[in-house]
Amino acid sequence: MATTGIRPVEATAFHRNMMNGKHLTPREREELLKPFLPDELSDSSLDSPNKPSTRRQQSSSDSKSKPSLFKHWLFVLTYTVIHAIFSVYFRFRRAYHLVVNKVISLIYYHHRTPEFIQRDVRKLQRLPAHVSVLLDFHESDEDQGSAGLEGLVNDVCEIVAWCACAGIPFLSVYEKRGILKNCIPQTHDSISSTLESYFGSTRKPTLALRAPHIPSYSPPITPPRPSTPSSPHSDTKPAPNHINVLLLSSNDGRDTMVDLTKTLAEMAQKDSLNPQDISTDLIDIELTEAVSGEPDLLILFSPTVELKGYPPWQLRLTEIFHVPDNKGVNYQVFIRALHNYSKCEMRLGR
Amino acid sequence: MAESFHNSRFRRWFASSPPVTWGIRQLRQLLIGALKQGPIPQHVAFVMDGNRRFAKNHKIETVEGHNLGFEALARILEVCYKSGVKVVTIYAFSIENFKRSKYEVDALMDMAKLKLQQLSEHGALLDRYGAAVRILGQRDMVKPDVLEAIDKAVTMTAGNKKAILNVCFPYTSRDEMTTAVRNTVVSYCKPTGNQRPTLKRPFSETHITRHIRAQSQGSIPEYAEMSDSRAGSPSSSKGSNAMDGENSSMGSTLMNQSDSDDGQPSSFNYPDPESITADTLTSNMFTADNPPLDLLVRTSGVERLSDFMLWQCHEHTSIVFLDCLWPEFDLWNFLPVLVEWQWQRKKLNEQDKGRRHLKAD
Repeated sequence: MATTGIRPVEATAFHRNMMNGKHLTPREREELLKPFLPDELSDSSLDSPNKPSTRRQQSSSDSKSKPSLFKHWLFVLTYTVIHAIFSVYFRFRRAYHLVVNKVISLIYYHHRTPEFIQRDVRKLQRLPAHVSVLLDFHESDEDQGSAGLEGLVNDVCEIVAWCACAGIPFLSVYEKRGILKNCIPQTHDSISSTLESYFGSTRKPTLALRAPHIPSYSPPITPPRPSTPSSPHSDTKPAPNHINVLLLSSNDGRDTMVDLTKTLAEMAQKDSLNPQDISTDLIDIELTEAVSGEPDLLILFSPTVELKGYPPWQLRLTEIFHVPDNKGVNYQVFIRALHNYSKCEMRLGR
Repeated sequence: MAESFHNSRFRRWFASSPPVTWGIRQLRQLLIGALKQGPIPQHVAFVMDGNRRFAKNHKIETVEGHNLGFEALARILEVCYKSGVKVVTIYAFSIENFKRSKYEVDALMDMAKLKLQQLSEHGALLDRYGAAVRILGQRDMVKPDVLEAIDKAVTMTAGNKKAILNVCFPYTSRDEMTTAVRNTVVSYCKPTGNQRPTLKRPFSETHITRHIRAQSQGSIPEYAEMSDSRAGSPSSSKGSNAMDGENSSMGSTLMNQSDSDDGQPSSFNYPDPESITADTLTSNMFTADNPPLDLLVRTSGVERLSDFMLWQCHEHTSIVFLDCLWPEFDLWNFLPVLVEWQWQRKKLNEQDKGRRHLKAD
């Protein structure tokens, strides 16, 4: 009760609608609420002039004559002080997180070796079947050398490799402007070569890279630079794992829903659809086919949680993970996200 | 005697002594007033998570936990409205929550009913805050007696303009989006011209016929542009869409009457589906006329949206996950969130300014 400024008598009164053993009438309740209400005319007078504040009297003697002006200055002063304190606090927190993140990335480092990553995820009780990552396209090189298209492709390659090592079969990569969608073949090549550098050419997992609405280029389930020489071996050893990568952009979010609505409206106009048949399930099926299903885990590499146009429909129960004050793609965020995911339970509203 | 007092008991006595409670009240007012000096989010949403866990931790009944949660809500609303937030949206009850035990669902419903009834008893007080209550969600899933209390509270506060309290009560975001899509589709296939007696409108029929004649000769699809611009504006509502459709359809039927050899396809009667935009859908959401969602807070450390405000929070909303449970949530937890939001906003503004300067150079 100390922090709320509510006396125990009042607390029970609010709580049980009783005071001194009697039920409260609406009139009494209004009396009780008086001190918590805003002033009749905002900022025109002090709340309770019958209870003089010692602090106020000390700090300013003319507060009675010009209460609102004094109050205003007091507020501005407090605002400045609060922001000054928090500004220092935020900087310290960022520095602290930077150190922590660095230490964690020293402890967990993959050394581009699948076995290390597999060791990191072995303890986990469950793995997400569909991971989604939200990446940013940096125009300038002010952060960690991940600028431009090259940096973005690099990040994607690394993340795909980590997922392949961890045994996650489906990865969707969201980048707001969809730059990667314009160069799917090149991206596919880069990812393939990264996978090769992790796994070696014989154990390399197969990769399928696609984007919604681009049916023209959807590579087959085999890599385009086919490792045909090793294909006779493939039936002797356990089948190499396969990873699906889906590229998303802001077009696949609201715009796709708008497109769906257009189609539905057109169908309804032609009387081939009764608008009452539009159900959550119908939209879900359509959007799942057109874009993707719900990811189990969304990993943000940004310092704060901001979705930047991520497809809204798909995010229903997705676990959203971010590391406060983190900047840029790195392995420790990825592995922490997986650890966090394996701990949490789904309740589905129950 | 004083030594025998248990420490915490003494502290409680101290904290509940009149000067201290008064001082804390003043401090709260001071902080709220101070926050008001910076930018304030216009629309804040809360997921009130953790009532049951709080009850479990403190070994009290689940229903009691929800009661405490309601008090926390009252405290937070006080903070929000006093600091100048225009719209507060709270996730009170999910459609999925009907899966919970009947006892708990009934208790929650009773609580909602009781609180709304109490709310209706204090008309004058609500006017002081100037807050209008709105209920977002599936009305037909609520029992009639609760619905009655809802309607009473909603109609009573409907005139208040200063602030809005959106209570999401049987709500899921997917359901909301589905409803929006359905309503859009319905509004785009409504008019077929002959169903409705023409009402008095500021359009003259002869004028329209003339225009359409001119159009079909010049083959400029002007009406499509018109409905496009209407639907594109964020303020466009179902009504205006329907009106667009009616006008165009009326025109087309008239034209078909006048020169029937034209052979227009029947789809010409309807507004063009291509004019549907994201804004059309937004204006069909439950939160249509609210400002964009600036801040979404979820308590109890769960980092999921759980089918809440998906459409609204998908872009520029700052989403904050807090570890405290909802009944414990108060100004002291909310203050850092607000300050950080203000801080980020200020940085964004500075960046924007910097960029503009760069462009100017």
